[in-house]
Amino acid sequence: MYAAAVQDLIDELGRLPGIGPKSAQRIAFHLLKLPRDDALRLARSITTVKDRVSWCRRCFNIAEGGADPEVECGICTDDRRDGTVVCVVEEPRDVVAIEKTREFRGRYHVLQGAISPIDGIGPDKLRIRELLGRLQTEGIEELILCTNPNIEGDATAMYLTALLKDLPVKVSQLASGLPVGGDLEYADEITLGRALEGRRSVSG
Amino acid sequence: MYLEQLFLSDFRSYGEAEFSPAPHGITVVTGANGAGKTNLIEAVAYLSTLKSLRASPSAALIRAGAPSGSAVLRSRVRHDARLVTVDAELHATGRDRVQVNGQVLRRTRDLLGALQVTVFSPDDLSLVKGPPAGRRSYLDDLLVALQPRRYDLLSELERVLKQRNALLKSALAGRAGGGVGWRPGRPLPDDVKITLDVWDAKLVTVGESLVAARRELVDELQPLVEGAYGSLASGSAAPSRLSTTLAYEVSWSGSLAAALDAARPDDLRRGVTTVGPQRDDVALAIGALPARTHASQGEQRTLALALRLAGHRLLAAALDTPPVLLLDDVFSELDAARADSLMANLPALSETQAIVTTAGELPSGASPAAWFRVEDGKLLV
Ligand SMILES: [Zn+2]
Repeated sequence: MYAAAVQDLIDELGRLPGIGPKSAQRIAFHLLKLPRDDALRLARSITTVKDRVSWCRRCFNIAEGGADPEVECGICTDDRRDGTVVCVVEEPRDVVAIEKTREFRGRYHVLQGAISPIDGIGPDKLRIRELLGRLQTEGIEELILCTNPNIEGDATAMYLTALLKDLPVKVSQLASGLPVGGDLEYADEITLGRALEGRRSVSG
Repeated sequence: MYLEQLFLSDFRSYGEAEFSPAPHGITVVTGANGAGKTNLIEAVAYLSTLKSLRASPSAALIRAGAPSGSAVLRSRVRHDARLVTVDAELHATGRDRVQVNGQVLRRTRDLLGALQVTVFSPDDLSLVKGPPAGRRSYLDDLLVALQPRRYDLLSELERVLKQRNALLKSALAGRAGGGVGWRPGRPLPDDVKITLDVWDAKLVTVGESLVAARRELVDELQPLVEGAYGSLASGSAAPSRLSTTLAYEVSWSGSLAAALDAARPDDLRRGVTTVGPQRDDVALAIGALPARTHASQGEQRTLALALRLAGHRLLAAALDTPPVLLLDDVFSELDAARADSLMANLPALSETQAIVTTAGELPSGASPAAWFRVEDGKLLV
């Protein structure tokens, strides 16, 4: 229907999360109308982010270090952080939310999602195997499960609790009081800080 | 509370319409069948629940050929001295937009309560004659109207069931864990087993809260339904046919956890959750016999009216202001005696707003406070 290059762009945009065919078309035509410099700036920021940023090999948070597979994030390489306590979160943005509370001095593990059979995401699609690996090598004493306060987050926490129950590690969960049904990032810093402080042990 | 003003643009059959019903008493909307009377009732009900009465998707609510491809509903609702505005824009593609007092609504449950309605419709007969789903929604709609927070409980149940069913199907297809499809008699892969345990536990928590709330509601409704049925049917029925009972029936026996466990092989085979509150029912009886199979059509209609009246009275008492009554073409389905008796049993119309549509006559006792006429997609005073 459109010139091949335009159709390619629409197809690529349509593969992005939350963007349907109609929106993909609208964005594509918006890009076509943009001044060349503005469009190239967007293209460059995509290449730059792919060149400079990848996943921390240890915790799967965002790490700056390009395509280097051995790269670690700022938190994993910071000696002042307490390596015996690890906060387990769904996404890198949750790390940001918890860091903002300034209540937590341990390290993180980013699962990169939550269990959601509707979306075809089972435990095997999450960074759970890597978490088990860290438990064997890093001397971790406590895991704080900080998944989102919604059904999928809860299910993921329950799954991890069941999986970890016989391992010699203390497992705790955020105190209730977070707005239910939402994301961790919607909770304000004070509420989230309190929930971290008042965490309750679920096993170990 | 009452609806002070409603403005419609490209909603269903209406190009543009403005509707200002009387604050109290009966506002009659007349018009030939198919003229669009029900569409007006649907618009008011939509602003109450953000759901279509006829379970239509947003796109179906937009007038065919509307140049903007969207419908607009604006309303002013009076709560004593307070004025609440509820505005909705429905789009054929893209997200609908709802504003309450000019603020964009983020979650449906934050709207609930701005405008409360009780709808009477000819379809209500299916509350008695139809499948259990209708009776469950009757309860669930009342639960949410009484306590908007319960909206979260219902959406959680829906979500848990969707997730659990998706997991059951993927286990069968072998997409979850190990890549080998589950077959009867074979053990589940560990991954699938633990994940299923997790969804079962969620379903038990959510399901038990919902069942407890529904049971409590049924207990509260029982005397109200019995009272409403008694006064609606008195004069036309034998005394033995005046007693009505409601009984909540769970779709399993024993604890929900044990029932889910027992049903697991079956659920896995079928790829769907076969026990839980999504399968429950309310048994309705007249004179101790099941109303679905052992009552006349007239008795069934009266019972359906009694269910709606009882719900209305419960809400009016709990909210300290009666919901707006919407009676959609109800009198045409009733004989003269039943129509008069419904009229006589409506709540005090000196403080309740009632919007009544009809293609023909009104019962003899009705003295309308305002009249409107629907013709060719237009609302005329
Ligand atoms: Zn890291």
